[in-house]
Amino acid sequence: MKTFILFVCLVLASESKYAYSSEMVEVPAGKSVIGEISNNDALPQQVLQLQTFSIDRFEVTQEEYARFFPEFIFWQGAEAHPATNITWYQAQSYCEQVGKRLPTEQEWEKSARGTDARLYPWGDKPPRKKPHPFYSGIIKRRVGLNKKDNSPYGVRDMAGSVWEWTASFENGKNVTRGGLWNHHLDYEYSKTFERNLIAPSGRFIFLGFRCAK
Amino acid sequence: MRQIEKITRRLFIKGGFWALTLILWHGIRGPQKIWAEDSFSGTDFVGKTREGKHSSFYINFWKPMRRINIKTWRLKITGLVESPKIFTLDELQNLPIHSQSSRLKCVECWSARAEWSGFSLKELEQIVQPLASARGVLFHCGDDYKEYLSRDSLKQDRVLLAHSMNGEPLSDAHGFPLRLIAPSKYGYKNPKAILEMEYVAEQQAGTWSKIGPYSPDGTILPGTDHPLEFGKQARRIPGGEITDY
Repeated sequence: MKTFILFVCLVLASESKYAYSSEMVEVPAGKSVIGEISNNDALPQQVLQLQTFSIDRFEVTQEEYARFFPEFIFWQGAEAHPATNITWYQAQSYCEQVGKRLPTEQEWEKSARGTDARLYPWGDKPPRKKPHPFYSGIIKRRVGLNKKDNSPYGVRDMAGSVWEWTASFENGKNVTRGGLWNHHLDYEYSKTFERNLIAPSGRFIFLGFRCAK
Repeated sequence: MRQIEKITRRLFIKGGFWALTLILWHGIRGPQKIWAEDSFSGTDFVGKTREGKHSSFYINFWKPMRRINIKTWRLKITGLVESPKIFTLDELQNLPIHSQSSRLKCVECWSARAEWSGFSLKELEQIVQPLASARGVLFHCGDDYKEYLSRDSLKQDRVLLAHSMNGEPLSDAHGFPLRLIAPSKYGYKNPKAILEMEYVAEQQAGTWSKIGPYSPDGTILPGTDHPLEFGKQARRIPGGEITDY
């Protein structure tokens, strides 16, 4: 029994190291719907043929980021929270150092949306449990904590957690994708096609990233 | 004689009509609305209001405060600095002036844009020389409001200690004589009517963050804005400073 408990503790301890970003999922080549009709917050709707690519299952965590950039400081106990307050240049540099790159926004959207043009990673229905609306700031949580925020390919946290940098840009700004799990005064999760533009030098507590290759 | 009586009667009827109209109007709108721009006009106080000209740029205060007398006002720089100092407004106005158009976004959802002029923290810090242990600044304001910002966030581009708004000295309602403009943060992180800047070693919660659901960081999140000059029509915002309109 003692051995079993020790084994469980060792498994849990090894899990607490959270080797998240090494875990990637492959998104097969094929057509998918990108964008939305008559929605200024989305790309114009089109059917795109993308090549096979892989994308991180989880957002890059603070602990993972700090391994390459030791000057990045975070609270103890927040190792598995998504790394944020990072410029686009820093995010790109991290991905390059681990032999990857940032995903394009089309790749990001396909990873979240699958091939059936769904509104949310889990389907078309807004979840019964609404995002937390009562706090004006970000309360970061462990990546992958919300098991329902799971795309058809098994990519996690694409509607909630934090927004994410992509490699795509428009009018001198980079495209960000994603959403938050606690929205100030908003009562819905972001949809798979929603996008924002932010200057690459921007550094915000609500903005992290994941890599692709 | 009859002619004079007619004129007098006509004047009496006309006067009575206008007096009655005034009394009715007075009754409906309340006395302060006829003569004053807002509840605090003509008083020695300023406080929260959305009335009169402030309907296009709302005014929030922690609590009503007595208007600041510029003859006695001084900015005190205290705490973890090598050279604590007391500045007059004239001295502050002599620091290099930067101007910018930026939008003030309130955590209540509304926003409004103005042209702000003032100086950057860098100019002030060249004089007072903060110690290495000073991590942030605690602002003490005329309405007893306190707000903390890290030095890192205060040194970002487009953060101003503003003494002018739209080419005029700040009005009492907008925080005369000195306020902070940090366009990527919600309004509650833009303290006004500043009396003292205290350099501190530890992060602290400001007045609102202590009592309400206001994050100590105060960065504007992606979501929806309701700009006053566009009839509060909802617009999506990407987070951080609102630059699109």
